[in-house]
Amino acid sequence: MFPDLRRDVVFPIAGSVILFTLVVASGLVYQSQFGSVGERLITIALIDAIIVLGMQVFIGNTGILSFGHIGFGAIAGYVFAVSAISPVEKMKRIPDAPFGLTDVNVAPLLAVLIALAATLVVALVVGLGLARSGAESGAVSATVITLALLFVTHEVARNWPAVTGGERAGLSFRIGGTLNGRVAIYVALLLAIVVARLYAQSRGGRLAVAAREDDLAARAMGVNPLVQQMVALLISVAIVSVGASLRVYEKGSILPGDFFFNLTLVTLVMLIVGGRRSVSGALLGVAVITAGRELARRLGQDGFEVFGVGLDGAPLDWIFRENLKTVFLGVSMLGFMIWRPSGLLDDWELDEWLHAKFRRSRESPPASLPVVEPDDSASLVASGVDVAFGGFQALTGVGIVATRSEVVGIIGPNGAGKTTLLNVITGLVESDSGRISLGDTDLTTAPSFKIARSGLVRTFQNLRLFPSLTVRENVEVSYLVAASHRRHRSPCDVDGLIAAAGLWAHRDRRARELDYGTSRRLELARAAAAAPAFLLLDEPTSGMSDSESLQMIEQVRQMAGLVGAGVVVIDHDLNFIIGICDRIYCLDCGQVIAHGTPEEIQADPVVQAAYIGSTAEG
Amino acid sequence: MTELLQNLIDGLGRGSIYALLALGVAVVFGVMHLLNFAHGELITVSGYATFWAMGAGWSWYLTVALIVAVSVATSLAIERVAFSRVRGADDFTLLLTSFGVHFVVSAIFLLYVSASVKTFPRPGWVTNTYALGSLRVEVFDTVVIGVTVVTLLATTLLLQRTMFGLALRAAAADFDTARLMGVRSDSVIRGAFALSGLLAGIASVFWLMRAGSISPSAGINPMLKGVLAALVGGLGSLRGAVLGGLALGLAEVLLRSRLPDSVASLTEGVVFLLIALLFIFRPQGIVTVTHAERV
Repeated sequence: MFPDLRRDVVFPIAGSVILFTLVVASGLVYQSQFGSVGERLITIALIDAIIVLGMQVFIGNTGILSFGHIGFGAIAGYVFAVSAISPVEKMKRIPDAPFGLTDVNVAPLLAVLIALAATLVVALVVGLGLARSGAESGAVSATVITLALLFVTHEVARNWPAVTGGERAGLSFRIGGTLNGRVAIYVALLLAIVVARLYAQSRGGRLAVAAREDDLAARAMGVNPLVQQMVALLISVAIVSVGASLRVYEKGSILPGDFFFNLTLVTLVMLIVGGRRSVSGALLGVAVITAGRELARRLGQDGFEVFGVGLDGAPLDWIFRENLKTVFLGVSMLGFMIWRPSGLLDDWELDEWLHAKFRRSRESPPASLPVVEPDDSASLVASGVDVAFGGFQALTGVGIVATRSEVVGIIGPNGAGKTTLLNVITGLVESDSGRISLGDTDLTTAPSFKIARSGLVRTFQNLRLFPSLTVRENVEVSYLVAASHRRHRSPCDVDGLIAAAGLWAHRDRRARELDYGTSRRLELARAAAAAPAFLLLDEPTSGMSDSESLQMIEQVRQMAGLVGAGVVVIDHDLNFIIGICDRIYCLDCGQVIAHGTPEEIQADPVVQAAYIGSTAEG
Repeated sequence: MTELLQNLIDGLGRGSIYALLALGVAVVFGVMHLLNFAHGELITVSGYATFWAMGAGWSWYLTVALIVAVSVATSLAIERVAFSRVRGADDFTLLLTSFGVHFVVSAIFLLYVSASVKTFPRPGWVTNTYALGSLRVEVFDTVVIGVTVVTLLATTLLLQRTMFGLALRAAAADFDTARLMGVRSDSVIRGAFALSGLLAGIASVFWLMRAGSISPSAGINPMLKGVLAALVGGLGSLRGAVLGGLALGLAEVLLRSRLPDSVASLTEGVVFLLIALLFIFRPQGIVTVTHAERV
């Protein structure tokens, strides 16, 4: 569940408590200056913080922009109100509510749980829709579905007065006597922070983030992004429902307009200004935007007569007006998107920073790992693979066999179908006919993440790392998948693998900061950490110099040896292929034209004509 | 049967406006991969221009020209001020930028005009109808459908027969390759925004004539219709956008007249649900746009 207890549980909880204390303390300081007006402002800000944290769990970790979370909030708010308001009050507004809802009478705490359960059911359905729409980071259709959800809930709230009290009357509690004190809000806020941080550090959170960084690469490492997005959505909606219920209870009433565009704008701006990928950022955003909005409101009301500073505001009359706070929100959103789209804190987390500071002494590089003997039981077999792209026949009846004790190469000129074959084997391209199997397991129609979990893990020709994750986090993603889906293999040691790949010095750097050769080594280490039966390498030396290619031979042998994996490798570089392979298949125009040991291939006249001949001339 | 025909005509009238809006959304999406949530603001801005022109005693004929001009100018200005700064950013940033523009524009009117609804006189013939067999057809719907057909034909000609159209289609198919082939990205993107503004301008004329009022938040509804229609049609496909708009208009009219009275007020909600269902069974929309990613 958590790769490292100290880093992923102890520090996040401690960090959450510190964040919570900071938020509460700054709120108390503010309200001691501004009396009852300040007190209410802070109460609302604390509730906003809960809702924003809920949104952060989904938007931050999956990268899918959602406008619908306030719609979920509306559902929770109404379910809470209908459950918790006393029958006497309900008789005044909704005497004819269906299903005997008028007579329902439950305690507020139970009402929160009912609201949470009801909203989770809706979230489950919406989540299935998102999954079908091909949701991935930045997906446009997913965002529009969430926007539609916001409008549907608003329309229903407006036009179903029998339950919601309609657009103008709404529902309300008995005047006075709703939320007494802030204990409930404090408890909910602390829980929300802890849950958001723990989720981000958990296996589910890390896999969701991997899919956010690169959906395709995550699938190829065995992550099913749709499951992780659903988990994130449910946790996120649960937090939002609690926040929404508190909001209704605090206000003592609910109207359709309470949970619509304005609240969506406010909460989204808070999230993106602070930094959507960080829990600390979300809280900072709530503080900054609450302060900015309050300042704009006061300036709009009193001109420059604010905080005792009495400047003549007349020349600036044209800007300090009522509704200035809405302009402030819109401009903040736009300004941050243009100049700082990742927000004030980006993905900085307080507890991660503390963990890095307090890391006990210097970590020493781990001892070198033992070589794992491959068991030669399961071999990879592709047979009779046909693929056509429109009218172009990319592969015709291609078959290869590889065992785990050997390195098998696939060579061929550009356009021969090498990468297509690899894509078919790893489930990224569907074959028209043919069969792919690993041992007794038929993988012909399996989705790519299942293929990876069965033990076929690949790298990519054009490098697909998770750019904003560190080297260690990159490797941990496949380790986490392997730990739960490849139980019969002994899990490899993440640090040991990083050291063996020569990445120890870079372990805390982000993948996007690495140079090209190091990135290649990381991609190899990440694939090896999945404890695969076979490593499938797509042009591991592309873009490398001759000497680097030769080093790559050692690198590949070492990584494969450490996890006991067979290797299938595609490359152009003949020196590399001949240096590393035990057997070679030569492809041309989508067909296998030759097959044998490196010596046989080099001597084969057909191969020379199709491939080597053309380079030998030059 | 008569009722169905009546619904069809009403639906086509409504759908034509949606089609124009959706086409504008699709044109911009094609060149910038930007789903323009600020598209409805073109109607807000031209609505206030209309309010001003009517107050100054302009005739509707002059005002029509003003609306189209204001819409094109606003579209270009928004591109210059906001969207040109986020070109090539990730999808998340693009989505929120357009959402931000939407809010800034409506907030500016909130600040400098007022939150209240401003009304202006509608042209007299908007509510006139004439008999066609047993049907009562609105003059307005006839004009809308006619103008839309002409606009779509002209747009098709523009896209198929001119260098600009070729550049725009090339950029929509593969922006980077189009640039390498010598298509000037600046002028194509500006051209796309101008075309999008022009189409929105024509849609605004009809939208405003029918509404006869304007408020800071008036852009939300047309924005939503345009974006949904473009999405229903299959994002990136211009033909799909038009089909999506017509389908959305027809669905609204048919549902409104067929649903029992108790739920008729929920028509919009039902339409959204239907769209959500469409996505579940056909995630790529009506027209499939193939987009291959090289791995």
